[in-house]
Amino acid sequence: MKYKALLTAATLTGIIGSTGAMAQESPTIAVVAKVGGIPWFNAMEMGIEQMGEELGVEAYMVGPTSADPALQVRAIEDLISRGVDVIGVVPNDREVLEPVLERARDQGIIVLTHESPESVNIDYDFEMISAQQLGEEHAKLLADTTGCEGSYAVYVGGLSVPAHNAWADAAVSWLDDNCSGLTQAADRFGVAESVDDSRNTTLDLLRAHEDLAGIMSFGSQGTIGAARAVKERGLEGDVAVMGLFSPGQGRRLVHEGVITGGFQWSPLDAGKAFVALGEMLYNGEEITDGAELPVLGEITLDGKTIFASQPLKLSKDTVDELAELGL
Amino acid sequence: MHKRLLNRRIGTEGTLLSILMLLCVVLALATDSFLTFQNLFDLLNNQSVNIIFAVGLVVVLIAGGIDISFAVAASVVQYVVLSLLMNYLGGGNWLLGILLSMLVGMLLGLFNALLIHRFRIVSIIVTIGTFNLFFGLLMYFTSGVSIYDIPDWLYYSVPLLDLPAERGSATLYLPAAVMVVMVILTWFILARTGFGRAIYGFGSNPESARRSGVSVWKIHAFAYGWLGLCAGVAGLMQAHIVQEVVPNALIGQELPILAAVVLGGATLGGGRGSVLGAVLGVLLLAVVQNGLNLLGVTPYAFRMIVGLIILIAITTSNLGNLLPRTTKARNV
Repeated sequence: MKYKALLTAATLTGIIGSTGAMAQESPTIAVVAKVGGIPWFNAMEMGIEQMGEELGVEAYMVGPTSADPALQVRAIEDLISRGVDVIGVVPNDREVLEPVLERARDQGIIVLTHESPESVNIDYDFEMISAQQLGEEHAKLLADTTGCEGSYAVYVGGLSVPAHNAWADAAVSWLDDNCSGLTQAADRFGVAESVDDSRNTTLDLLRAHEDLAGIMSFGSQGTIGAARAVKERGLEGDVAVMGLFSPGQGRRLVHEGVITGGFQWSPLDAGKAFVALGEMLYNGEEITDGAELPVLGEITLDGKTIFASQPLKLSKDTVDELAELGL
Repeated sequence: MHKRLLNRRIGTEGTLLSILMLLCVVLALATDSFLTFQNLFDLLNNQSVNIIFAVGLVVVLIAGGIDISFAVAASVVQYVVLSLLMNYLGGGNWLLGILLSMLVGMLLGLFNALLIHRFRIVSIIVTIGTFNLFFGLLMYFTSGVSIYDIPDWLYYSVPLLDLPAERGSATLYLPAAVMVVMVILTWFILARTGFGRAIYGFGSNPESARRSGVSVWKIHAFAYGWLGLCAGVAGLMQAHIVQEVVPNALIGQELPILAAVVLGGATLGGGRGSVLGAVLGVLLLAVVQNGLNLLGVTPYAFRMIVGLIILIAITTSNLGNLLPRTTKARNV
């Protein structure tokens, strides 16, 4: 209530005073995270605040206490009644959010999503990297490391996790087309959410397939578990391990040469992109296919989805810096 | 009466052992890597944490209770013990680590026991509560941040027995030995002491046990305290094996372990179950998983096959109960 009064006061002074133009041009941008307090979204929050300062706009993140779509709905309702200009959200569940996002747009609020290309009631969704590219980058790394010889295994967080399987599909089909010497040892395993399970599975696979040359894990714990197993067998160098992993967790293994590397995207940059895009749209700028955008670089526009091409490479050289960010 | 009870227990474990042996023979013939020291040692290393949990849980089930908070409690133990050791005790060592883990785990278990005994709440409700409470506190105080820099004594694995193998080596590690100690201790208490018999008695009929002078609070305190202690030890071993502490690494482990223990002949009604059964239950599920990987079965079929094996094992070991009473009596 207090806030609303303050806002009205601000608008009033805006109309009367000379600072008015300034106040109107500077939007308030709020981003609703999946869940607050975890390293990924802490980094995103840092990006949001940095870019907010740089552009001189009020930008902040709201982090629900648990990854519950209902909490996100409530957070967005609050933001609507606070009268922010731009709402960004990383949805926990796309469908649950649709009605409340529709309401936000009806009130003239600009709505942006991230990691949710299917969302309907939005102005734009942006992806730091397409699923296709993320999968293929890993496939290329595997092809380079193994010289396209032997067999490989793919881990995903669960056999029904859409994002992980889309990455895995892209990687496998690239390898089928470009690296036919390398064969898939078995269908993909849904163990990548647990260090224990992926470690046990890797120990079994090392025994069952003597030509196993690489493991690709699209799920952050799987990379760590596979690397531990490979190291336990003293096969670092013979069996390549790569995939998504959190830099702080994997840095020791990267430096020991057990994890070759991997790709992901930067939550810090995603945070910055929320603010930069929000400010652009608020100022009425158009987004077109092939445009050069701040933070995101050159983009392709597919319907309402903005695809950037910003893979973040994890390697011996970058892992420490990223780990320092708490990732 | 007592003899028949004993016989029936041997029955369940006998069936389970036969199924396990049959499975092992099939796998030994079908793959050339199953019956190797490397594989068998890996199985023991990898299952030691689950078996330590299982022998703790079987005590609670025999006493007629249930606990689903133990896996989360183990995560709490990992955090509390490592934080204490690294911040106040200069990193610590194995002895201190194990003792502290036992102590913290036992305290968490006793907290369950206190609620169950003092306030007479059903154990499943209490442990659903503490499951959420423990995990909630853990997330609140850690903000989900993992500990990757664990002390050196915990980081480096401790080999006990090392044999050469085709790829790498076959090594038996410390957690397997700790597991054997916990198994023997639990077995001794349950099968060789009067107190163990009192736990069985209390589990099958609490009221008559109480009337015959069994101290109910001692039973509750021991059952949940022992499970807590086992969970503490298992938690430390898990952190040792994966060389890090992740807050949600163990949550979700409680149901597979509960399934394994029930598979091993324990019932949710109390009074039945044994350490041997619990160990066999865990091993059966582990061998199935191991075999599926070695055979190269598609992972899309894993759950289906695991589900089938559980149903087959439960059905065969319960066949005895379907026979008419007279036939059963003759067998005794």
